[in-house]
Amino acid sequence: MDIIVCIKQVPDVPNIRLDEHRMTIIREGVEGIINPLDCVALEAAVNLRERQGGRITVLSMGPPQSEEALREALAFGADQAILLTDPAFAGADTLATSHVLATAISMLKPFPDLVICGRQTIDSDTGHVGPQIAEELDLPQVCGVNEIHPQGDSLVVKRLYDGFQDTFRVNTPALLTVSQDLSSPHHIPLGDLERAFSDREIIRWAIKDLNLKPEEVGLGGSATRVWKLRKAASKRRGEIVTGSTQSLVEHVIRKLEALSILDEESGNG
Amino acid sequence: MKKVEMDSPSRGIWVFGDYRHYFQNRVTLQLIAKAKTLAQRRDAEVTVVVLGEQVHQYAMEYVAHGADVVMVVDHPSLKNFQVETYSRVVAALVEDYRPEVFLAGATPLGREFFPRLAKRLKTGLSTDCVALEVDAGTKLLLQTTPAFGGELLAEVITQNHRPQMATVHPGVFEERIHDSRAVGRIIYPEVDIHPDERVQLVCSRPEQSKKGYLENAAVVIAGGRGIGSGEQFRSLFDLAELLQGEVGATRPAVHAGLTGEDRLLGQTGKSVKPRLLITVGTSGALQYTTGIQGSETIIAINRDAQAPIFEIADLGLVGDAHSILTLLVEKLRKRL
Ligand SMILES: Cc1cc2nc3c(=O)[nH]c(=O)nc-3n(C[C@H](O)[C@H](O)[C@H](O)COP(=O)(O)OP(=O)(O)OC[C@H]3O[C@@H](n4cnc5c(N)ncnc54)[C@H](O)[C@@H]3O)c2cc1C
Ligand SMILES: Nc1ncnc2c1ncn2[C@@H]1O[C@H](COP(=O)(O)O)[C@@H](O)[C@H]1O
Repeated sequence: MDIIVCIKQVPDVPNIRLDEHRMTIIREGVEGIINPLDCVALEAAVNLRERQGGRITVLSMGPPQSEEALREALAFGADQAILLTDPAFAGADTLATSHVLATAISMLKPFPDLVICGRQTIDSDTGHVGPQIAEELDLPQVCGVNEIHPQGDSLVVKRLYDGFQDTFRVNTPALLTVSQDLSSPHHIPLGDLERAFSDREIIRWAIKDLNLKPEEVGLGGSATRVWKLRKAASKRRGEIVTGSTQSLVEHVIRKLEALSILDEESGNG
Repeated sequence: MKKVEMDSPSRGIWVFGDYRHYFQNRVTLQLIAKAKTLAQRRDAEVTVVVLGEQVHQYAMEYVAHGADVVMVVDHPSLKNFQVETYSRVVAALVEDYRPEVFLAGATPLGREFFPRLAKRLKTGLSTDCVALEVDAGTKLLLQTTPAFGGELLAEVITQNHRPQMATVHPGVFEERIHDSRAVGRIIYPEVDIHPDERVQLVCSRPEQSKKGYLENAAVVIAGGRGIGSGEQFRSLFDLAELLQGEVGATRPAVHAGLTGEDRLLGQTGKSVKPRLLITVGTSGALQYTTGIQGSETIIAINRDAQAPIFEIADLGLVGDAHSILTLLVEKLRKRL
């Protein structure tokens, strides 16, 4: 089974800081990590390869430093890594991102049996890219799967979705996005990590290798624009009290009484 | 296919009619209400698009909740939501009728379906919006969506592509009251349906959890990472029981195994609007607060006076969660 896993290097979001004057994110000094759900996707691919044989290719569109994420994925068990990097790709929304990724996938020989993405990223958090690759490549898709079982030419997959546990049979080739319930990624043996950083090759494709035009990619190929960024609203609306536990608890009780959630009571309540 | 009327709705605002779990999942009704106010500013009509089998009753409901037009595609092969088939049918309708704006709830279904549809239509999409406005000058839809873990809000526009598409966080807008005398048109457009056989539903069972208990509770006690241990988390249940409420949790509390995923509040969990919400040991990240901001009254307990949660609290207590909870439970027990 030939599997593509799409991975994105993202800033470690809990550690990012905001430049409040310019309303931008300060990325300097913040470590880049593989989007956590993409690690889950990779783990799923490794498990499938164990059962079915085949090859795993990791694919990422991003700035040159995304190479680190690909090397980590190689250490994790991927067989081949492709970095789609070109200044022209910058500023892409999901329409343009999925176009570049789908174009790269369509150039692979043989065409993969399965493309796996994370359900969403922690930085843009859209969850668009998976379904949009599927649409461009005319693949069937199932999003947010938590189990994958190969069965002949098809896959039986499960997901928890809007209050239902659904089971589907999907013909391959197909695209799946995975949820965090699928499995927890294993740890990378340190020796593998070192080898991946020294002697493994990363294939790099730029815009000309994909035969794309500048207006199809990056900012030019995007349909959405960020008009402005602002800090999330912070309107203080109530009172803040400090003091002994005793007095704090009394504040709560008075509030509960005021809301008629507790009946008012005189005496030593 | 039955033809009641064949009017062409004017280029307007469309809402995708997600009628599954009709009585719990109100997001379509919330979107109709919002679309109505946006439509006034654009002088347009609100159309709800409904696909399925025998869905007439939902069409009537959408009219009662404010839809000017309901566009119904009724066909046995649309009975189950099937993303490839739905994308094809809805894309064909969009190409025929050319709406300016198209909205859906940011439910798992909306978030799986709308990206594929937007790609097919080669247009932009913003996800999980927490506000929508029409810009007075350009008449463009301003789509506000949380970015970078909620630190920032991004206002996104779709300048040159149509429709302007967005999925919207459930619970952000208020639905209109049901008006059974409201008038609207129900239309049955002609569209070819070729079901996609590549994905087949083998089975679908309701998840094993009580549904709606959290959303319907008048009092919610929510706990976060600051609660510490599982034992301390149980004191939230004691408090909830005393106040006849339910317990919710933040993502880290769920991840730490303090309680189940079905109690998760926030962007990736449930949105609640109780009369009173007491939030304990939570910092107040936007992904969490979007799920609780509709609460009538919020009491927050946190030992850090600078915690952002205090910005949305009506009453904020700076102190240790454990000692406050213990004493509060003790005092309430004495009163009952
Ligand atoms: C894409 C995405 C989606 C997300 N979706 C959700 C979601 O749906 N729901 C959600 O909840 N989160 C979500 N998150 C995570 C969210 O960003 C926050 O990390 C999370 O809400 C923080 O939870 P918390 O407040 O419990 O923990 P923390 O941020 O760690 O806060 C703990 C708080 O407890 C206080 N504290 C510690 N000890 C005590 C004590 N003894 N007494 C009193 N106070 C104490 C601390 O001062 C601190 O303020 C999402 C994140 C991402 C990136
Ligand atoms: N630049 C990228 N390169 C490779 N894969 C990506 C990229 N952006 C998104 N993806 C994939 O698409 C998934 C969803 O991303 P998003 O739509 O940004 O939330 C991710 O989990 C990745 O698997």
